[in-house]
Amino acid sequence: MNCDEVRQHWELYYDSEGDSEVYLQINEHLAACQGCAKWFFQQAQFEDGVTAKLAAAQPTAELWRRVLSETGAAQPVAARGWSFFSPFFALAASLVLIVGIWQFRAPSEPDHLFALTATLHERIFDGSQRVEFASASDEAVEGYLKQRVSFHVRCPPRKDAGFEVRGGGVCTIAGDSAAYVVGQVESKDVSIFILPAERLAKFDHEREVLSREAIHHCREGKYEMVLAKIDHNIVVVIGKGSPEQLERVVRAYGTYPDVRPAQVNDRPRAA
Amino acid sequence: MTKPKEDRSARFLRHLEPLQSALEAYARRSVHDPNSVEDVLQEAVGKAFRDFQLYAEGTNFRAWIFRYLNLEIYAGNRSFHRQRHEALEEPIAEDIWEQTIEAPLIERLLDHPERLLSHCDDALAKAIAELGPLERSVLLLRAIGQFKHREMSDILEVPMGTIMSALSRARARLRFTLAEYAQEHGLLGPQSLQNPK
Repeated sequence: MNCDEVRQHWELYYDSEGDSEVYLQINEHLAACQGCAKWFFQQAQFEDGVTAKLAAAQPTAELWRRVLSETGAAQPVAARGWSFFSPFFALAASLVLIVGIWQFRAPSEPDHLFALTATLHERIFDGSQRVEFASASDEAVEGYLKQRVSFHVRCPPRKDAGFEVRGGGVCTIAGDSAAYVVGQVESKDVSIFILPAERLAKFDHEREVLSREAIHHCREGKYEMVLAKIDHNIVVVIGKGSPEQLERVVRAYGTYPDVRPAQVNDRPRAA
Repeated sequence: MTKPKEDRSARFLRHLEPLQSALEAYARRSVHDPNSVEDVLQEAVGKAFRDFQLYAEGTNFRAWIFRYLNLEIYAGNRSFHRQRHEALEEPIAEDIWEQTIEAPLIERLLDHPERLLSHCDDALAKAIAELGPLERSVLLLRAIGQFKHREMSDILEVPMGTIMSALSRARARLRFTLAEYAQEHGLLGPQSLQNPK
């Protein structure tokens, strides 16, 4: 593909839609053409900024309390008999809070995303942490993760990217849920950690590197790592593979469009 | 022994809770009468809860409930304009927005977007409001709901090709509008001398 052809497809690339072969061809062009790589980075940077502004909002608690109450979807309010026990519950909650704070202050967690994911990768592959969902089917792992996390996740890299999936699950990174996919690249253990893009705000170092590079390589202890923002996710690939192998894996994340039949159920009745 | 209604409520809320911020953000940016956002959400959630037995566990709840919300937004906007004796907005003719993505103004915008993005809340809201109804819907569904083309096609009941072209037009128009705003307010970077190709 030449530069004009590649740039015509930038929206499909950015949205991870369309033909996976085209996606891979674009990746090859971007790896070789600095001008287009910069151009794509700028397009994505702007779109990400607009998206962040449009999506930035916390739900209004009082509004939703009224909405759910009026629609009957809210859980029934506790009967008055419970108020007798509320001081005891308050005491119990305080004890839980004190213990929680003590545990939080005891061994401190590293605050770099790289260090956190390296620790999780090691625990998964030394058996300390069981893989939640074991499967060699990338579709099955994708389906499992989509049901388990509230943020958007894309398909794991497929075999033609050199990645053989072995399973996935949900973990906690810096107090928030994240998804992980485990597998192998040429018999070497590789983990892929997936977070919603807005979590990057918690990690100063990683946010700073991604503001300068679309894909960042580094080494954490004995592991090679690749960090990228793909679609609405922050993706960290970690393992003992070569940097080129891991980059191929991260670029293949989410490249397959959803080919399953539409899963939206019976159409709602119009007003 | 659990009551079936409690299980149903708990299940519905479990699906709904992670989507509340996205549903509210989409409603706020789509509803023409800002005072009716809560009513629209209430109607949509109420109807979805009523129909919850039609939802098959494990399928795409996000798209399912956004379809309800989109219908209520459309009904609410239609009613709002009818009360004001106005016509519901007409889609703007496409040829007005034939700005290529390489336009120099937009190039300068993309060189330093942070200057604009940190000062453009009102301009962005106005630019979104000025989009045609379909363009606005797909842009917001993509940005806020993170939906894929196929999902948006199901939610809005239009062909995927229409979704793709509407999204492309919406992005181009938004960039042009914001680039103009940035130029008027001195928020553009210096003119680049380099050709990025």
